[in-house]
This record gives sequence, structure tokens and C-alpha cells, in this order.
Amino acid sequence: MSGDSLPLALPLSRFATDACEVTDLYRELREPLLRYLVCLGLSRDEAQDVVQDAFLTLHRHLASGGSQENIRGWLFRVAHNQARNRQGSYHRRFGEPLDLEIDAQLDETTPERVVLEKERFRRLGEAISLLPESERECLLLRAGGLRYREISEVLGMATSTVGDTIERAIRKLAEKCNV
Amino acid sequence: MCDHSGKLVAWLDGELGNDEMAELERHISACGKCRSQLESYQQVSARFDAYCDAVLSAKAHRRRLPRRVAVLTTATVAAIAATLVFVLLRARVPTVAPPLSVQVQTQAAPPAIVVEKVPAPVLSKTDHPPPPAAASTPRQTANWQPTERAIQISIPAESMFPPGAVPEGLNFLADLSIAADGSAEQIRLRPRLMEVERRQP
Repeated sequence: MSGDSLPLALPLSRFATDACEVTDLYRELREPLLRYLVCLGLSRDEAQDVVQDAFLTLHRHLASGGSQENIRGWLFRVAHNQARNRQGSYHRRFGEPLDLEIDAQLDETTPERVVLEKERFRRLGEAISLLPESERECLLLRAGGLRYREISEVLGMATSTVGDTIERAIRKLAEKCNV
Repeated sequence: MCDHSGKLVAWLDGELGNDEMAELERHISACGKCRSQLESYQQVSARFDAYCDAVLSAKAHRRRLPRRVAVLTTATVAAIAATLVFVLLRARVPTVAPPLSVQVQTQAAPPAIVVEKVPAPVLSKTDHPPPPAAASTPRQTANWQPTERAIQISIPAESMFPPGAVPEGLNFLADLSIAADGSAEQIRLRPRLMEVERRQP
């Protein structure tokens, strides 16, 4: 390689030291992050971009000697903030109808079961769309495997408030879906 | 509503301390209403998870038509490199004025017919010399227009760096802007984290 590649070689060598850790995290958290962002209202491509940006930010964070504590919560917070920055996309409703696309998920079951599942999803989607944003976000982060303490860090609220919010949201969904 | 019902979801999530958990478990074993609520909350949680999965899958189906080229095989990279060379070389080919190209084209047709039909080919050929073969090449070059003004090309890191120099999962994306005359206007290289699974040979 020619000499002009030298500036690129230095940060890459530092990147290599964190490579295993970042790669393991990427394998573990890519899908939950994608799911969280898509459910917030981003398109799949937008979510993919945000996830990649979040991991590049993580690399810079680790390379600059940043704290390695609660990296999971840290990544979700970065992704959450980046999603918020894409205001137009973020405000698309999570509970918007899935229309006929849900058929693709249920195509191996009987038609009766498809109808039943679609009706259940429709009711749940309606109930979710009626939840306040904070309750919806808490539920999504919980579904992403985050502990209440991690959720509180992502959303900037007290841990006890997270518990109350999730409890309230689950109760509402159970009532609306007659579960 | 039972006094303990406000802690059922926290118990499900394992968020209670040991003392609270033990106390709630004793209560649940004695309270049928809380057991019923607990079951209901478990079902809602499972459906919420399924709904999130369905949303993710549905949006994945929506993007069946890829908006950018994601190419990782060496053979395809070679094809991309050839394209780049082609585009860069094209930028150096001198352009021919369109009126000249039209003249060459209109002169080319009649001599071909005359040569076949007239029995004195020598005279005809002298009067209407066929166009030089090389003339067609610049005409096609001048009329060619790029259909895309911007191209994105994924480049595996191992094609540019030795093994181990770049962490697994990191690749590069080249943004290639094409000017109106077909020449390469700008090339921007930026790092991208790609799906690790796709990099398996």
C-alpha cells in the first residue's frame, strides 16, 4: 500500500482491538435494536442505518476510552436518540395497520387461524396505538430484553416510574384485547 | 383489585427484590384473581412480542426491491472494478460533435446499397467511399448517456486491507457520482458495518 494510506491505518488498528467485543455485541443486539427502531416507526432501511451508526458511535466511544458499563442500555439510548432526530419517521405510529402483509407471516397455518390471528393483531395494534408514547416505548424496550434500570437510562426516567408505566400499559392492553 | 396486583408484571420480569418476590409468591398461591391476572399479563406480553416480530417482518417484506447494491463476492467486486475502469476511461475519450456523427451515419447507408446493385463497383466506391470503421465508435460514445446519476458500491474490507487489519463486519461503501457527460464526478468512500453472516463464503 502506498504511504497515503497511513492516516487510515492508525484508527483501524485501534478498531481491531475492540473488534471482538463490538462484533459480539453486534451479533447479539442487532436484531433487538432493529425491531425496536422499526416498531418506533422507522422504515427497515432507516432502522438499518441507525443501527450501523449506533455501532460506529460505540466503536468511537470504546476507542476513546469511554465507559463499558451497561453497553446494552447505552446502545439503545444512542439508537433511540438517533431515531428521535429523524422526527418525520419517528412520529409514524407503531400501531398502524399491518394490512395484508401479515398474511406472509401466517401463510403456513389454516385460513381460519389466519383470520383469527389477524383479528388479534388488529385489536392489539389498535390498543398499542392508543397508548401514550412513554408507555409504548417502555414496552418496546422491555420486549427488547432491557431491565427496568436500563430502560430508565434510555428514556431518562426513574426506575420506579418505568415499573409503574409498564404495569399500567400491560393492564391496558389486557383489558382492550380481552385477554 | 388486590393490593398486590400492581406488582405482578414486575414479578414476571424478575424486577422485585428477594423479600418482595417471596411475599408475592405466597400471595399468588392463595389468590386466584392474581393468578388469573398473571396469566393474562403473560399472554399479552407474548402477543406484544409476536406483534413486534410481525411488524419487523412486514417491513422487511416491504423492502423486497433493494435500493442499494450489496455485493460481497470477489467475482462481483471484480465486475465493479471493471465498471469503474470503464467509466473512468470513458471520461478520457474525446467527445465528437453530434452533427458530425449524423453526417457519418447518413453517408454510410447509400454506398452500401450502391456497391451491391451497380455492376461497376470501382467507380461507385471511389465516388462514395465507405466510412472508416473507426467512425462508428465515437458516435456511439457521444450518444451514450448514463441512466443513473449516482451509484453505491459495497466493497469488502478484505479486498483493500490484509486479513485482521479491519474487524469482522466492517466493509466500505463507495458513493460514485456521475456527471451528465458520463464521466466520474466524485467518489466518496465511507465505512459501513455489514451483516456478518453475509460474509461467509
